[in-house]
Parts: sequence; C-alpha cells; structure tokens
Amino acid sequence: MDLAAWILEPFSLSFMQRALVSGVAVGISAPVIGVWAVTKRLVYLTDGMSHAILAGVVAAAALGIAFTIGGVVVALLMAALVVFLVLRLGLPEDSAIGVVSQGLFAAGVVGATLLGDPRALAHILFGNPLTVTWPEVAAQGLLAIIVVAGCAWLAPAFAMAAFDPAHARTIGVRVGALDALLVISLALVVVIGLSTVGVLMCITLITAPAVAARLLTGSFTTAMLTASILGVLASIAGLLAAYHISWPVGPTIALIAIAEVALTSLIVLIRRGPAWRAQKAVTQERRREGVAHSGHSPRNSSE
Amino acid sequence: MHVKPSDVPPAVQLRDLSVRFGEVVALDHVSLDVLRGEVVAFVGPNGAGKSSLLRAMTGLVPTTGDVLINGRALRVARASGVAYVAQRSLARWDLPLTVEDVVVCGRQGHRATLSRPSSRDRAAARDCLALLGVQGLTHRRIGELSGGQAQRVLLARALVQDPDIIVLDEPFAGVDPGAVHGLADVLMKLNDEGVTVLCALHEIDIAAKHFARIVALQRRVLADGPPSQVLNGDGIAALYSLPVDHAQSDA
Repeated sequence: MDLAAWILEPFSLSFMQRALVSGVAVGISAPVIGVWAVTKRLVYLTDGMSHAILAGVVAAAALGIAFTIGGVVVALLMAALVVFLVLRLGLPEDSAIGVVSQGLFAAGVVGATLLGDPRALAHILFGNPLTVTWPEVAAQGLLAIIVVAGCAWLAPAFAMAAFDPAHARTIGVRVGALDALLVISLALVVVIGLSTVGVLMCITLITAPAVAARLLTGSFTTAMLTASILGVLASIAGLLAAYHISWPVGPTIALIAIAEVALTSLIVLIRRGPAWRAQKAVTQERRREGVAHSGHSPRNSSE
Repeated sequence: MHVKPSDVPPAVQLRDLSVRFGEVVALDHVSLDVLRGEVVAFVGPNGAGKSSLLRAMTGLVPTTGDVLINGRALRVARASGVAYVAQRSLARWDLPLTVEDVVVCGRQGHRATLSRPSSRDRAAARDCLALLGVQGLTHRRIGELSGGQAQRVLLARALVQDPDIIVLDEPFAGVDPGAVHGLADVLMKLNDEGVTVLCALHEIDIAAKHFARIVALQRRVLADGPPSQVLNGDGIAALYSLPVDHAQSDA
C-alpha cells in the first residue's frame, strides 16, 4: 500500500469521515484557545477544569440535558469556588484549583459509576471519535467556529489585557469580562473535545500545539494559525494510528501533540545556537541589574 | 508652571481620599489639588502610598473620598482625559508583540468596544513614537528593548490617548543613567505642550532636578512645595526617618 492510500483509504469509511471532521474541529479550536491559556498562564486552571467538567457532563447525562450546558455550568462553578477560596480565605491559587477540581472530578467519577456502564466513563475520560454521530459532529463544528472566530476577533483585546491589565482597565477594557470569556471558551473546548480526545487528554491538545507554536512564531496571529495546523496534524495522525495499528485515539493524539513540542524545541535549540544563549544570558543579567537598581520587587511594587 | 485662570477647575482634586487593602491603610485622608499644566513628583519610601495614590487617580483601586478630574468625578480614566503608565516591571515583556502593537493599545478608547485597530490607529501610534524619537523601534519585538526604550514606548502608548493628564508610576526605575535625563526632557516637553504630568518617584535627585513641585507622602501628605522646601535635610529626614545629619549629607 502506498502512502497516499495509507492516509486516504481509512477516510472512505463513514465513521472515519465523522471522526475526521470531529478531530479537525477539536484540532483547530483547542490549540487556538490554548495560545491564550498559555499566554495568561492558565494551563493549570485549564487542566483542573478539564477534570472538573466530568461532574458537569455526568450531571447533564443524569438530567437529560446537553453536555455543553453541564460542562460550562461546572466550569463557571469551579471558577467561582476558586475565586472564593483565593480572595476570601487567602489560599494560594494552585491549592484552590487543585482542591476544587479534584473534588468535582471525584464527584463526577462517582456519579458516572452510579449511572451505570463503566465503559461510558472510559469514553468520557479518554474519548473515542470513532463512535461520534453526525449531530454531535455538527455541534462540535459550530462551537469550534464560534470559539475560533471569537479568539481571532478578540486577539488585540486579549493581548492588551495580557500585556498590561492595569493600563487596559484605565482605557475601559473590561479585563474581568475577557478573563471570564476565556474561561467559558476553555470549558466549551473541553466539551467539544469530549468525544474526540476525552476530558483528560483535552488539556494536551489545548496546551501542546500552543506551546510549540509560541516557540516557532513571533506574533499571536501566526501562533494561533501554527497551533491550529499542529493540532489538526496531531488529530489526523492519531486517527490513522488508531485505524492502522489499533492504538487508543485520544492518548495517541496527545502523544503526537507532545512529540510536536519535543521536535519544535529541538529545532529552536539548533536554530538559536550557542551565540543566542550567550546573548540571552547577558540580556537577563542586564534586566536583573535594572530591577536591582530600581529597588523593585513584587512586594514593593504593589504599595 | 502654567497660570490658572480663576474659572478653570484644577486638573486633579483629591478630597479626603483614603485607600485601604483589608486592614492595611495605604492612604489616609489625603487632600490636594494639582493645577493644569503642573509637573508634580510624589516621593516617599516604599509603602508610602505613592502607587496607591496614582491608582486612585485612575480608578484602579477602591477609595473613600473624592477624586475630581477637571472638576468632574473620575469615571474611566481615559474618558476623563487621564493616561496611566504603570510600573514597567509589571508589564509582560515576554509576549510576542511589536512596539506598534503595544502603542496602538492606547487607541482602544477612540474606537468602538471590541473593534480592531484601524490603519488610522496605527498611523497615530507611529506619530507618537516619532514624537518621542523612537520611530525606529516601530516593528521591534518588545522583549528586545532596553529599559529607557521600553519606558518611551509606554509613554507613547499614553500619548496616543491624547490625554490632558499623564500619570506615571516609577518611570525612571531600571532606566540606564544615561537615558534618565533624556526621558525627563521628554516629560518636560510634554508639559510645555500643556499636559499635566504626575509621577511617583523613588529617585529624589531626579525629582529635585526636574520637578517644580514635590509632594512628600507617608500615607498622608507630609510636605508639599518646591524641591528646595520639601527635599532639604529636615524634609528628607522626616520622610525617610533618618537622622538629620545623615539626611543633610544625602541632600
């Protein structure tokens, strides 16, 4: 079998066509929103959210409503609980995220077990796009278009709020609303990725292509474009691996996405070379000296 | 300093202004006026409330008391004609942005919410960079800038807002000594064009040399006047809790 046939033949089958569209929807939307999750240093929050959303999905299944609704409601609930623990009790952010997300995840596992079929739990955790239906694919596609279009349009505002949130507030940018929109979009993407890579692997598809793209590119626009290409490549390669060598789809997509980061890191290290590293060391030293001269530290800068 | 016609309200009026963070009092019943066209330096030790004062003037922290800008209660800072330049170290210089991307952010208030920067916005950004003599940096990555260049970029972002008042928090921090006076000259040039300039400063030598009015803060206003009056030996000793002979040798 030649390479073209090896790649194309599986997609002549109906279930593989559905899996392909589903994979492309997640492969584009997850890395695009991932660029902003990485920029805003929300990776751990996203990881926690991907676990917590299991509780929302299980609750939605029990109530007979759309998974998306359950997922978004639990994502917002998690965000509210984290904010409460951080602001009212003074807990460190990572501790609050860990406690809340694992609590909701545990509740979701218990709920899924009580609901019945343990295979359904594995399906939610690790995904299986080979069983996805056309209505599910259509919903995934629609949500993916909304998320990607929103990210592309709001990119300047996201960048402004990430660069200097205090200044952004003074010119009327609603930084809190943008953050909330980002959290909701991340929740939507986890729900979109539910049947393709599962809630546990979705964080990989959100983070890894975005990290690789940030290493390779010099602007947010090209980072979003590059990340989505890498995400689609990982999704398609994962589907082919599942078809030809019977590897589990979700974890395989995640492994390929991680391999993209490893390969990108290697390319960047080779491209930069020792001269770049020496220059960076000098720059960092100069910055440290500058900060020392200014007498600044995170403690006194918020006087 | 510009002469104030009697019917023109001050640029900034603070009335019984207090800022608290939980149990910590950052500012305690501060009242002062800043006239239009003044250049004012706020000095004091760490924790004196300098940054809190500037953030109160820009609506970034909850306050008690009144903040009036040009005679009206403060709304969103930009809408009140105030441009804020936060401490340079608090911005994310690692992001994949160009200088033009950063400066054009200042135009957000000139266009509809959620709309994207237009070619007119970008042209305005380039004009401001040219005004500050750094037009050559327009397409430079922000992570490659020196301290002085980065500060001018933030100043350009403030200028593109077309403000009446510029509020700067530690603008000389981390700036190469050779670039300090150039940056101070830029601020004075802006002031000559009618912009009111308010700075929080650690560097009392720069304050004494370039600023006509000094406000010494220690949660309250300890002293307010020209440098010769506020930054003499006794004034510095009171402000920094130093023995008088030591403060005099520093001054």
